[in-house]
Amino acid sequence: MAAPDPVEPGARVSVRRRPHTSVRRVLVDSVKHFGLRRQMRHPLMFCVFVLFLFVSLVTLYPRAFPDIAASYQAGYYVAVAIILFLTVWFANLAEAIAEAQGRAQAESLRAIRSGIRARQVLPDGALRWVPSDVLHVGDTVEVAPGEPIPMDGDVIEGVALIDESMMTGESEAVTRESGGDKTSVLGGTRVLQGTVRVRVSAARGESFLDRLIRLVEGLGREPTPSEIALSVLLAAFTVTLFVVVLSFVYLANFSGEVTVDLATIIALFVCLMPTTIGALLPAIGISGVNRVARANVIAKSGKAVEASGDLDVLILDKTGTITVGSRLAVQFVQAPDVPASELLEAALLSSTLDETPEGRSIVRLAARRSAPSRRLEPGSYKVMPFTAERRMSGLTLADGTEVFKGALSSIEAYGAPLPAPTRSAAAEAARKGMTPLAIAVNKRVVGLVILKDVVKPGIRDRIHELSTMGIRTIMCTGDNRLTAAAIAEESGVDEFVAEAKPESKLELIQREKSAGRLVAMTGDGTNDAPALARADVGLCMNSGTSAAKEAGNMVDLDNDPTKIIEVVSIGKQLLITRGALTTFSITNDVAKYFAIIPAIFLGGGAVALPGIALLNLLGFSNPYLAVLAALVFNALIIPLLIPLALAGVPFRPRSAIDLLRRNLVSYGLGGLVSAFVGIWLCYHFLAWLVREPAFATVARLVVRHLPLGGP
Amino acid sequence: MAFALQSLWDVLVLLGVVLAVAPWFGRYVGKVYLERPVAGDSLLLPLERAVYRLLGTSPRRPMRAGEYMVAVLFVNGGTFAFLFLFFLLQHALPLDPTGAPGMPWDLAFHSAASFTTNTDFTHFVNESQLSLGSAMIAWQLALFLSAATGLSVAAAMIRGFVRKDGRLGNFYVDLTRSITRILLPVAVLGALVFVALGVPETLVAAVRAHPLTGGTQTIYLGPVASFQAISLLGTNGGGYYTANAASPLANPSSASLLLGTFLMLLVPFSTPFAFGTMVRRRAEAWPFVAVIVLIVAIAVGLFVAYQAAANPLLGGIPGLGPSTNGYPVGQETRWSLPETAFFQVVSVYNNVGANSMQIGAISPIAQLVLLFGMFTQATPGGDGTGFAMLLVFTVLAIYVGGLMVGRTPEYLGKKIGTSQVRWAALALILHPALILVPFSIAVVGGWVSVGGASIGVTAHTFSSVLYEFASESANNGSALSSNAFNDTTPYFNVVGGLVMLLGRFVPIYVMLRVGGYFAGEATLPQGPGTLNTATGTFAVYLALFVVVVTALVFLPVMALGPLAQIVGVG
Repeated sequence: MAAPDPVEPGARVSVRRRPHTSVRRVLVDSVKHFGLRRQMRHPLMFCVFVLFLFVSLVTLYPRAFPDIAASYQAGYYVAVAIILFLTVWFANLAEAIAEAQGRAQAESLRAIRSGIRARQVLPDGALRWVPSDVLHVGDTVEVAPGEPIPMDGDVIEGVALIDESMMTGESEAVTRESGGDKTSVLGGTRVLQGTVRVRVSAARGESFLDRLIRLVEGLGREPTPSEIALSVLLAAFTVTLFVVVLSFVYLANFSGEVTVDLATIIALFVCLMPTTIGALLPAIGISGVNRVARANVIAKSGKAVEASGDLDVLILDKTGTITVGSRLAVQFVQAPDVPASELLEAALLSSTLDETPEGRSIVRLAARRSAPSRRLEPGSYKVMPFTAERRMSGLTLADGTEVFKGALSSIEAYGAPLPAPTRSAAAEAARKGMTPLAIAVNKRVVGLVILKDVVKPGIRDRIHELSTMGIRTIMCTGDNRLTAAAIAEESGVDEFVAEAKPESKLELIQREKSAGRLVAMTGDGTNDAPALARADVGLCMNSGTSAAKEAGNMVDLDNDPTKIIEVVSIGKQLLITRGALTTFSITNDVAKYFAIIPAIFLGGGAVALPGIALLNLLGFSNPYLAVLAALVFNALIIPLLIPLALAGVPFRPRSAIDLLRRNLVSYGLGGLVSAFVGIWLCYHFLAWLVREPAFATVARLVVRHLPLGGP
Repeated sequence: MAFALQSLWDVLVLLGVVLAVAPWFGRYVGKVYLERPVAGDSLLLPLERAVYRLLGTSPRRPMRAGEYMVAVLFVNGGTFAFLFLFFLLQHALPLDPTGAPGMPWDLAFHSAASFTTNTDFTHFVNESQLSLGSAMIAWQLALFLSAATGLSVAAAMIRGFVRKDGRLGNFYVDLTRSITRILLPVAVLGALVFVALGVPETLVAAVRAHPLTGGTQTIYLGPVASFQAISLLGTNGGGYYTANAASPLANPSSASLLLGTFLMLLVPFSTPFAFGTMVRRRAEAWPFVAVIVLIVAIAVGLFVAYQAAANPLLGGIPGLGPSTNGYPVGQETRWSLPETAFFQVVSVYNNVGANSMQIGAISPIAQLVLLFGMFTQATPGGDGTGFAMLLVFTVLAIYVGGLMVGRTPEYLGKKIGTSQVRWAALALILHPALILVPFSIAVVGGWVSVGGASIGVTAHTFSSVLYEFASESANNGSALSSNAFNDTTPYFNVVGGLVMLLGRFVPIYVMLRVGGYFAGEATLPQGPGTLNTATGTFAVYLALFVVVVTALVFLPVMALGPLAQIVGVG
């Protein structure tokens, strides 16, 4: 029986794919969010919703509220009710769009796994086809080539080549084998070659896939501490304004200068409430996690994303993160009296069959130096592979010529003494952090090939960006001090730890944390697990072991250790977006006052007060339209800012004080100016609208046919 | 302009002197609270140790926020009870040569609350309703204790930024040292200078004079100089006379007016520097000093400009033409406008509440300027508590601003957590609530009345009631107008007393809690990624934050009161 094929062969479903969101679904959701349970989660918008219900009630049964009847105007009340409704709906819309983006990502993930069946290995050794749903932690399954892996787990038997492209977007297949550091496999990936037995390590609903799905959908998303603190501040602000507005009603009526209309005072309150940030706060949080997911990183919590914006110290592995991961040949040094061509030929011979990256780089360099190429007939040579005892490799040709390359000490031990100038050249290279290898032909040293750890292109700039953001980088390497210092110098890291042992990272993290710093690290091996768990942000490579992945709080599906830098930016952007929109919300309020307060005095039938006229900066003459203009602006600014909330405010690494200055101008001053301009535009649009005969007719019809009472 | 430009120099020179003295004095104050060696130790340390032994406490026993608050309430509760009983029974107690009767209970309550809370708002006529003993013993005790309480609380809150054990210091030690090292020495010096300038200091309560115009005149005397010195230095503001610092006996000359201004400014302007010393970052004082100087300077400027501007109301009267000397009613002619305006604005902005003029008839914009100072109550505010309130504003400002630099916010290496924000937000709600709720209740309940009958009040009466509650909630003590409405009714005595007590001790609790949370946190290292607060950018941001938040909350009532009174300005 063949395994059902859940995914079209060759189909690649990547998280990276730009999610397309269904407009209908978003609209339906935004309406569903009017539900009471959902509303209760956002007290600020719930408050607006209650006010909408109240104004609607007054509009429908004005006779039940005799105090209001004096100033009741059906058209005005209907307009206020409609705008309040729109305000809440826009907030729902923001959240629904953010969720839909996450859901689109989640659905592409879910498709991977739907209907997978697996061959379970029963205790008696027999195999049985079962749906993957029934598998538990500890169960063992066998997976043959072409079959998908049903659940996250560890390979306990066999070796396999696995296609993880549907999860990671990485087209190169990876090898997984039992024992060692490369045992972990992801549910939903597909075995290409080899049959393996896998022990299930994650229960249903707990696998990475499940976690990712839950997270990007924003379900079970706990508000982070800074989100809670901001909500508290916004709530306090709202309560304060409620006291202010409520007392204003009594005091205004008492002062005898004005009578305050109910709808107007509700409009004032809603305008002053920080509805802009209140409406967008959930969407900002959800989209932060989505942006991390789009970078192909699974964060286990929103808190981890936020913490990454706060990092002080980043511990980077040298190998794979800062350098390309292998040493490459950069230079040949001939021994005295040896022609260059002889050294090149020897180097080429010694490495032709060396498939390590070092060996290949020697061949490349030799070819570039136009080494005489020589065809090696099969059977005309004998390979002497690298062994731990000999610590050199090479070959013996048919004519008995031995060509070897290896560490200086091994070549000497083999019986080829180093001439003095060569020795000093080697020492010089070692001092610069490079690795000299000696090449010997028939126990005669012909020269050196110098290998160097090559820093990844662009890493220097990224480390510079980090230091601009105030993050200190520490490089961790097993190399000796000289090599480490050279790489540190070249890459621009602030500090390095040489001759690091597996436990060095943990010690380093503990040292930094005891100084109160927030530390991040990347890792993949099982021996990284304690350090990953101890770090504030532990980014584990997807190729790592299950233990390491469990310990870290983020997993990078692309296995790119430099991804941590991207995550830091996303975390910072998330916080900045929140702060910027809060500032925007507050400075907006200032402008709204100047629209509504004069309107209250104008509309309250008060004698013209020159002092109040001073406040009428925008020169509005119709008090009803002035209030409605402020309210319309207050509502419209929410959908206008949804793209900003979802994408995050533009962020470039700068010093903190520079960021504060720029954001204050953009969002503080910007909020003030945009509100004045926006309200002015809304006012004149409304003024034009009410003059339009067509609109007036429609409005009259609505007011007449609605069951509205009133004078 | 209705004043000589010459007199502007007095003001600027005085400000310069204060700014020159403040860093030095602030460092001294900081050392006092750090218990580092300072001048006078050989004389005062044994004395202080004796006090600690008497109180059964020790500097080596630092308190947590809750314990500190209990100690604050214990001392201040004792003070309150003592004052209340003293005023109630002053006719039966010694030192009542003028025969002042015992106060009614509601007035005694209001007065005791007023003096305990550093407000010194008086609902009585000093000369006839207060005995010499009440002024000299009860009130003067409160002048010291309330100022010392404020300073101690600020010191405790500041310690939160450096301590890591969750403790804020020992209240009894702070209280003692505030008096022995700061208030008493400066007050004694100040009193001596006042005496030299001609202010009375005597136990004779009153003398009878026979003026040339005939009849007799009672001139009330007493220990005026010593009272005046601590009243101004301690930002209390109570006057020995009802006319307060406008009385020629309390304030005979320009020199005594400037000395009074200096005494009011000294502690609030030094506290930021004390803060810098205590947190071991001197530069951190400057943003606060900049904010305070900026806001006070703008306030004085506006006050002077609008007081000097032509009064448009007079312009309409035929034959008069626009008045060229502004709003002279209530202004002492002995002093130039800048001098008296500087005293007046500083008095309100420092939550002193002393008066060098009758402010009932000042221009509406000038009223607005004074009200604004009481609405912020932190620029610079009263001794200790004003600066602590500015720190509370700072916590909120950094919370919002800190997010904008992409880190969860921190100040001086201490993270601003949910707890700090929650408590700081309470302080934000409390002040407007304490002003607007009692005002609204007074309105709805018909408590605002003149001569027993409720009236439809004018904008001016509106401003006066608003000013009264703002002054009480801010623990200021300044009053706009005593004849716009009758504030000596039980409603205004009892509610006013409660507003002062809540407006004092709830914020103090907030300050201690916020300090306590900071004290429980580790100090994080700072780098280029953390917000550098010792910068001009931050100072500007903090000033804008304080102004915008205050304006947002209070603009509606300002529109109903002072703004509605403006008639055709400009």
